[in-house]
Amino acid sequence: MSKEQKGKRNQKETREDMVGLIHNLERDEDLKFNRRSFLKSAVGATVTLGVATLPFSVLALQDKEKDDNRKEIAKLADIPKDSAINFQYPTESEPAILVHTKDGELKAYNNKCTHLQCPVFYEKEESVLLCPCHRGFFSVDNGHPLAGPPQRELPLIDIQVENGVVYAVGRQIRHG
Amino acid sequence: MGKKIYWIIIFITLAVNVVALQWTIESFFGEEYEHVITYSIVSIVSSLICVLTFWRWRKQEYK
Repeated sequence: MSKEQKGKRNQKETREDMVGLIHNLERDEDLKFNRRSFLKSAVGATVTLGVATLPFSVLALQDKEKDDNRKEIAKLADIPKDSAINFQYPTESEPAILVHTKDGELKAYNNKCTHLQCPVFYEKEESVLLCPCHRGFFSVDNGHPLAGPPQRELPLIDIQVENGVVYAVGRQIRHG
Repeated sequence: MGKKIYWIIIFITLAVNVVALQWTIESFFGEEYEHVITYSIVSIVSSLICVLTFWRWRKQEYK
């Protein structure tokens, strides 16, 4: 390397001997650059997250329009106390269970276990809903898990009784 | 307004949007459609605040 070239070392704007790479090592500029780009990335992330909520709103508006779904389940007289019947709600592919409890209350839930989607049955002896696959227990009163692997509650189906006929009128996936 | 406050506002809006997106998705799959729209509006407003703050920050930063 010539003397002239060596003299250019550690100087900005020289391409000699790859010395130009020292630009990256100047901490002040490095920090300054990163600080700005960091903030810009944060702004980009914020806007992206904001825009990401829009498709859900559009789908929610579409689904809301077809939300009204009233369906006859059975005649009340056909369901004796301390028994259950199965039905489909809100679509034919979503099985549900209607329980007429010992106390005379009507409770309905979608009966796919929230663990691994096995069907849930009414257990008369203990008055609970049982998923036999992994022994998951749900309360008949509120559909919340009592024991076993399930962590989430069963979707609650709102019931209406009119002139001795039981109707399903709505569904709450999450309920307190 | 100091430049620090712009940073604070931008990161608050970022935090709001992270939470709002999570709640939006949870509400959507929970079929709570009113909540979906509410959280979505919150998120969009937060994004707008973020962009406006960023523009002001940029004006000060590069002047």
